[in-house]
Amino acid sequence: MNPKQLACVVLMIIIGIITYGAQIVHKKVSAMREDATAAEDAAIASDTARQTAEILVTRTKADTEELRRFLSIWTPFSQRTQTAQDVDNAFDFSLRERGISLVNARSSSPKDIRGDKFIPKVIQTKLVIEDEYNKVMNWFGDIEKRLPLSRVTACSLTGGSTVRQMRLDVTIETPMVDAAATLDAKVEKKKKS
Amino acid sequence: MSDYICHDFKTPRNDTSRRLPDTFKAVPLFFFLSLVGSAYFMTMDWMAYKHAQKTKIEAEARKTELDEAAKKLTDEKAVLDTETAKAESLAKWMEGARNVQPIATAIARAMPPEVRLSDLNLERSEQVPSNLSLSLRINGGSAAEVSLIETGLSRLQYRSFSPQQNKNEEVIEYRSTLVRQEQ
Repeated sequence: MNPKQLACVVLMIIIGIITYGAQIVHKKVSAMREDATAAEDAAIASDTARQTAEILVTRTKADTEELRRFLSIWTPFSQRTQTAQDVDNAFDFSLRERGISLVNARSSSPKDIRGDKFIPKVIQTKLVIEDEYNKVMNWFGDIEKRLPLSRVTACSLTGGSTVRQMRLDVTIETPMVDAAATLDAKVEKKKKS
Repeated sequence: MSDYICHDFKTPRNDTSRRLPDTFKAVPLFFFLSLVGSAYFMTMDWMAYKHAQKTKIEAEARKTELDEAAKKLTDEKAVLDTETAKAESLAKWMEGARNVQPIATAIARAMPPEVRLSDLNLERSEQVPSNLSLSLRINGGSAAEVSLIETGLSRLQYRSFSPQQNKNEEVIEYRSTLVRQEQ
């Protein structure tokens, strides 16, 4: 092989190297373009997901506005009675204020509510009082007003020891609301359905 | 070094090697063409690479931003759902926590002075806490007092469901389930 032929071979090798290099560079560019396209597609998908989430939030806000307003109105009342002591104090104060002196029987006990994280417990108060009709009924109205979340589960009105007297046997359940409870909305919905 | 050798070295020599075939003459031309072509394509590719890289970085940054916004919205919805679940739980409780004193008062007020209400019981249903089981005994009354009671209760938006009344001499026993009527 003479020098001219050798030079030609060297040139062809260089041409081959240049072509190969250009091909590699082109492949890299193509790969980068594909990556960029994929990233743009992913960004578009994320935008769609954000828009969907925004629509859901807006719709949920509108649908549940009344309920949430209801909760915000009643939350301060539920926070007033957080312990059995608070409930007892409310009863004591009400009886004292309404001038009911004859309390025949009184008991207070906690009762667990299974499966309800928001109202996990109630304080069940059983009370038997005897006094004048007006005083008893006024006290009854007052305690229901003082503990607006309380639920009268049983109430019995009978005649008292004298004609003017009246006997009230009442069972009242006061909920202990756990405002900080984390409820699983899906589980709650399932329970309701 | 001798003069002869230097002289011999500088003497022009005839090209004794064989000439290249005609096709091989295009090789240098291809070489230069490939140089120019590769310079052009590589420059274009480099610019395209940079552009694609920039686009990718921008798209990734936008995706991260949008994902964060979507996560915030999802968190906000979770808070709303929790609040709603709490409100529903409280509303369900409140349905069964309507005041009972007005019912007792309405029944007592419905009685004329000559009639005596000897016994009044109100018990809340465990299954449906908004329903109340009412039982009472009236001394010296008649069916008219029962209708007065029902009228008084209807003013409080309660309807008597499956009422039963028994008259035993002067005593009327009345039982019913009070169901709240929604407006």
